[in-house]
Amino acid sequence: MSKYKLIILRHGEGAWNKENRFCSWVDQKLNSDGLEEAWNCGRQLKALNFEFDLVFTSVLNRSIHTAWLILKEQVPVESSWRLNERHYGALIGLNWEKMALNHGEEQVRVWRRSYNMTPPPTEESHPYYHEIYSDCRYKVCDMALDQLPRSESLKEVLERLLPYWNERIAPEVLKGKTVMLSAHGNSSRALLKHLEGISDEDIINITLPTGVLILLELDKKLRAVGPHQFLGDQKAIRETIKKVDGQVKVKQGKK
Amino acid sequence: MSKYKLIILRHGEGAWNKENRFCSWVDQKLNSDGLEEARNCGRQLKALNFEFDLVFTSVLNRSIHTAWLILEELGQEWVPLESSWRLNERHYGALIGLNREKMALNHGEEQVKVWRRSYNVTPPPIDESHPYYHEIYNDRRYKVCDVALDQLPRSESLKEVLERLLPYWNERIAPEVLKGKTVLISAHGNSSRALLKHLEGISDEDIVNITLPTGVPILLELDENLHAVGPHQFLGDQEAIRAAIKKVEDQGKVKDSKK
Repeated sequence: MSKYKLIILRHGEGAWNKENRFCSWVDQKLNSDGLEEAWNCGRQLKALNFEFDLVFTSVLNRSIHTAWLILKEQVPVESSWRLNERHYGALIGLNWEKMALNHGEEQVRVWRRSYNMTPPPTEESHPYYHEIYSDCRYKVCDMALDQLPRSESLKEVLERLLPYWNERIAPEVLKGKTVMLSAHGNSSRALLKHLEGISDEDIINITLPTGVLILLELDKKLRAVGPHQFLGDQKAIRETIKKVDGQVKVKQGKK
Repeated sequence: MSKYKLIILRHGEGAWNKENRFCSWVDQKLNSDGLEEARNCGRQLKALNFEFDLVFTSVLNRSIHTAWLILEELGQEWVPLESSWRLNERHYGALIGLNREKMALNHGEEQVKVWRRSYNVTPPPIDESHPYYHEIYNDRRYKVCDVALDQLPRSESLKEVLERLLPYWNERIAPEVLKGKTVLISAHGNSSRALLKHLEGISDEDIVNITLPTGVPILLELDENLHAVGPHQFLGDQEAIRAAIKKVEDQGKVKDSKK
């Protein structure tokens, strides 16, 4: 029986979404569509009379700006690297279409959607390595800089996310606080997998639309009482899911 | 000898600044000038290579938005931010929303100056009949304070601002500064003045003459006991800062043509 409600949100578009490039730990800004998606979310929440006590975000600015746009300013926001998007290693910044042309649609789909496939790690020669690891936000984590991921499977995302859920977020939910997580595609999927008990095989087929509020109802032990629900216009949501799925497919004309 | 650096700032303009009305606890937004002032602050602090560990704001949205804009300019949106009513602007009681020029015409420039700038004169309290009473006290943010709703101020002198601010400085902010954290306080004209009075040891008489410009980062260097080692400094173009101070001071004066 549902005792707690949790809202999770995958932030909206940044410039690289349109270019089909893995953004991951690069600190891209939301583009105008992404900003609009956030505002829409905010309006929806207001219409639903949600009042949050606490918001958790990653340390990537797009998740924080999404939260700032949605919420009343006085709601405390806490940011942690443990909610960051999945670290795509050496694939960061690469274009999906080009990768699919070179490696095949199936390999790209495996890299994007498998549970335990870790891409090759990012290295100092990677164009975005220093931009990421020189940033002071990664010097003040609860993990030393050299211990932070250089690449992750979805499984590894959950492994670094779960302690944060257990130690920081879950206790607040159990206190009856209304909590929102403003996160990313894969960090949201990892958490839903855990809370809903989704199998390693089934998680591959779960797509989360951007800028759509995801409601998860939890029992007193913080297990999902049913599948996650998308709040809002269901037809528009189906279109958004299709759009996210479509980013992987190679356009027919290029085969 | 300077051991710690603290940055305090007074947020920029909201709509009522231009109308010379006491905004106080009414949750006005920054206007476009105020937004630009915040971004300028951020750019200045970026040029000076500031890396903040912690930001403190009031619960009024204009102080929070100012902090957000500054953090955005710095690329430091992830820095923890904490908000407390104890950093709120001074509560102007029954004077909230009233136009300063009109008050000066009715009561004289001197009385207005006393209300605005004295240390221990408390304006008449706000009551339920005041047009902004319910907008303020029905808001959920005042139900989750460390003080019960009915115990929150209904009017304050600058002295009373310091009395409710000091526990927060002592218990939440000072320990972080002593740990060597680089702290930004995004606050208001009077809550900033109250804190500076305390840290710099400014007398009750002298504080009357201290004016803080909006949207200018204020640097205070502190010794190991968190006492100021010198007067606060305004960071930035000094001529522009003098003009900004004059603008704030002029808001209290009645225009000659109306006398």
